[in-house]
Amino acid sequence: MKQLRINIRRAAFVLAGLFLVLILYGGYALGNYGSRWFSTNANAYLRSVKNNVIPGDILDRNGVLLAGSEVTVYQDGTFTWERTYAEDEAVRRANVHALGDSQGKVSNAVESFMASYLYGFKQTVWDRLSGLMTHQMRKGDTLTLTLDADLSGFIERAVLADKSLPDPVRGAVVVMNWQTGEVLCLMSFPSFDPARDESLTSLTGQPYFNRATQGMYAPGSAFKIVTLSAALRNAKLQNRSFTCGGVYLPDGSEAHRIVDYGTSTAEGTVVSHGQSDLLRAFSVSCNNIYAYAAVEMGDDALRAEAMNFGFNENFLFRDIVAENSSYPDEDRSPWEVALTGIGQSRLQMSPLHLCLITSAIANDGVMMEPRLLKQAVSSAGMPRLTGSGASYRRVTDADTARTVRDAMLMAVSGSSGTGGAAAVSGWTICGKTGSAELDGQANTNAWFTGFIADARAPYAVTVLLEDAGSGGAYAAPLAGKIFKRLTSR
Amino acid sequence: MSKQKKRQPDQKKLLTPARQLIGLVMLFFFLGFLLLAAWMRTEGSGDWTKALILAGAVPALVYVGVLGIPRLFPGDRLLLSLANFLCALGVLILFRLNPYRGMRQTLAYFVGVVAMLLCAVFFRVIRKWKPWVILLMIISVVLLALPLVYGTEIYGAQNWVTLFGFGFQPSELVKISLLVAVCWLLSERKVIWAVGLTGVSLGLLMLQKDLGTALLYYGTVLTALWASTGSTLLLLGGMAGAAGGAYVGYRMFAHVKKRVAVWQNPWADRQDAGYQIVQGLIAIANGGLWGLGLGLGNPKVIPASENDYIFTVICHEFGVLFGIVVLLIYLAIVLRGISIARRTDSAFYALLALSCSVMLGLQTFVIVGGNIKLIPLTGVTLPFISYGGTSLVSSLCLVGVLQGISARTQADLHPAPRRPQSSRPASRRKGGKK
Repeated sequence: MKQLRINIRRAAFVLAGLFLVLILYGGYALGNYGSRWFSTNANAYLRSVKNNVIPGDILDRNGVLLAGSEVTVYQDGTFTWERTYAEDEAVRRANVHALGDSQGKVSNAVESFMASYLYGFKQTVWDRLSGLMTHQMRKGDTLTLTLDADLSGFIERAVLADKSLPDPVRGAVVVMNWQTGEVLCLMSFPSFDPARDESLTSLTGQPYFNRATQGMYAPGSAFKIVTLSAALRNAKLQNRSFTCGGVYLPDGSEAHRIVDYGTSTAEGTVVSHGQSDLLRAFSVSCNNIYAYAAVEMGDDALRAEAMNFGFNENFLFRDIVAENSSYPDEDRSPWEVALTGIGQSRLQMSPLHLCLITSAIANDGVMMEPRLLKQAVSSAGMPRLTGSGASYRRVTDADTARTVRDAMLMAVSGSSGTGGAAAVSGWTICGKTGSAELDGQANTNAWFTGFIADARAPYAVTVLLEDAGSGGAYAAPLAGKIFKRLTSR
Repeated sequence: MSKQKKRQPDQKKLLTPARQLIGLVMLFFFLGFLLLAAWMRTEGSGDWTKALILAGAVPALVYVGVLGIPRLFPGDRLLLSLANFLCALGVLILFRLNPYRGMRQTLAYFVGVVAMLLCAVFFRVIRKWKPWVILLMIISVVLLALPLVYGTEIYGAQNWVTLFGFGFQPSELVKISLLVAVCWLLSERKVIWAVGLTGVSLGLLMLQKDLGTALLYYGTVLTALWASTGSTLLLLGGMAGAAGGAYVGYRMFAHVKKRVAVWQNPWADRQDAGYQIVQGLIAIANGGLWGLGLGLGNPKVIPASENDYIFTVICHEFGVLFGIVVLLIYLAIVLRGISIARRTDSAFYALLALSCSVMLGLQTFVIVGGNIKLIPLTGVTLPFISYGGTSLVSSLCLVGVLQGISARTQADLHPAPRRPQSSRPASRRKGGKK
């Protein structure tokens, strides 16, 4: 009987534990995924609410109206509303992917992901009561975003004016503040005008798709930022000198050749960089040395570093829904590892993630969580604290980050750096180019990612132009224009 | 503990803390139905008069259930109030979802309270168990075999029987008879018989494809077996057996396989197979911490919102905090039942009280865990709240068994007093003497 009593007590603990698990798991799931469940287009309740509540306005960081609503009131007191957008067409087109539209053509944007604010779900009873007294119709919160309408309009015009780019331009531009994580521009090309009712068939290049957050691309040489950080922390590699002979065979097979950009078998030209250390090899974007470094440190070390930088991670940012980047986990032969070291193989990432990595290097190795929301104000005028910049995690130690920054500085301002076109005189610009090869595509995808190493203008810029050519020749000049604009304000 | 004549001054006081609490609970339901009446009237539904009737009837039922029963029977008041609160909450939500079913649930609630009282009296009175256990064993097996002969299939499981125009779920009623039989057999050290009876019952349930209920029976009997024998080896073996059984079930039944796949990623097929889980999660997210308010949400988009998914409706309209409170109420019921088990001197009653508590706790865990996607969904009801007369009656009967054991323990401890129900804290009485 005594043993029975003890066992009964144990059973009580187990049952209490089960209930605790229920509550804790429920809280965890709701806290992390609740806003995502809510904003899905399967939410019938949200759809029905949209008929009764006027969505709040959306403003940029300087108060420029990005989206408002035009309300029509009928005789019987019912009403309908329609979204209105910024006056400037370039601004409309530049921000439509970040903002989304009321019809839901663009998914996972502010209009859907922040619907809990826009349709007044975050309002307290007090907000609703005072709203009732002052307004006839219920209206959601007005959102002030971190986006910069003026800058994004400038970039939109610059891209469309550049006749050397393919038509239509496909790609993405991300601009963020590397100190706070505030995102200034989250642009995808080609774009469309939400104010005009264009049918999808008249548009080309999947304009509704947000390439900046949802697009999955091989980063090409831009991934050398990660490879370099890993190599700098590897005792075998950190202070070594390498020789680039133009061709590197990771597994000895002639079919598996690593060559440098510009090498052509048909023309018989071989580009080689000769004697070089890790930093100089980075600035000239030497594939041989970085592929070699990747093989030398091994797949596990490179994967661990990539995971530090956010690969294979389930991104659960508060303001932005981003596709998860992946570091390949199958077929890790020396050849594949060598390719991974220079950002090819099956490595996949979004332009936003590359911008986060770049910002982390600028910020001494601390990655900031990307933010879009500055402030929400209820229709009764009550501001709501939305939490300021928060660090996401440390991706590498401060010393390594500074050394990578030196390498990135050399890549832009060094005599043979590949990113020279991004330089702005009088400012410290750091960066890295990338030219990612894609099967079945004539030209490479042009990448440039970089930042202004200056607290007066703490911005990071990532540019991706699909099928354009080399990063140094196409992406870097555009980044240069953006840097110039950012520093001249 | 309570051999006292000092109860008189307390009884004169109209507002004891317990009565204040019950008053608040009654007010809660009164206002709830009043709100529903107003809402239905503006919606143009003719059912608002029914809501008005319930605004009086349900608080009255709560009053009778919590304060009236102790006058007839020396029960455990805490257990009574918690169970009654949940039943009344079930009626309120069901009436909001479907007035017709809400009315039927009110009737079932009434029947359940009567059944609870009968169970309590039965367990208080009966002394010679052997003939009853034999009878209960036969009843269990016959009832479980019925659906195979007369059954109707609902949601992939054939566990309903309609007799004389009256539909019910035998596996719900067998819960009680089986637990009584198994616990008695275990307390008499007839382990083989207990295992055999459980095996036959589980086999019959498997044939009906009612895997959720089979899981509950299994878990409860395994706990009782472990508690009575104290054998860890048995417990581990039982768990391994369950894992094996789950695997066989997974391989054998297409609807089990589908449920597991949908549990892993309901979003992949959110329009079809994953629809229910996805809509449940969305409903919880819509409710947020404080809920949308009674009548203000749209819980009807969730499939089975009146049965298996009623917990998500609670979170949707009353909020997640309220949902957590409901879970804590279940936990309090379970722990109270277990404390009854620890107080009794007879191994049979201890085991039986433990099994009733475990059954209620496990059932709540299985269905709520399925709702929030912690575990794969198994179709069992949420005790006291889900729509379904048999389920409500059987849940209340489990509470009735606990009541009977509690009363019996108190009577054994204090054979002398005529009305031995009171368990007021000693300090209170001291205060009265000063």
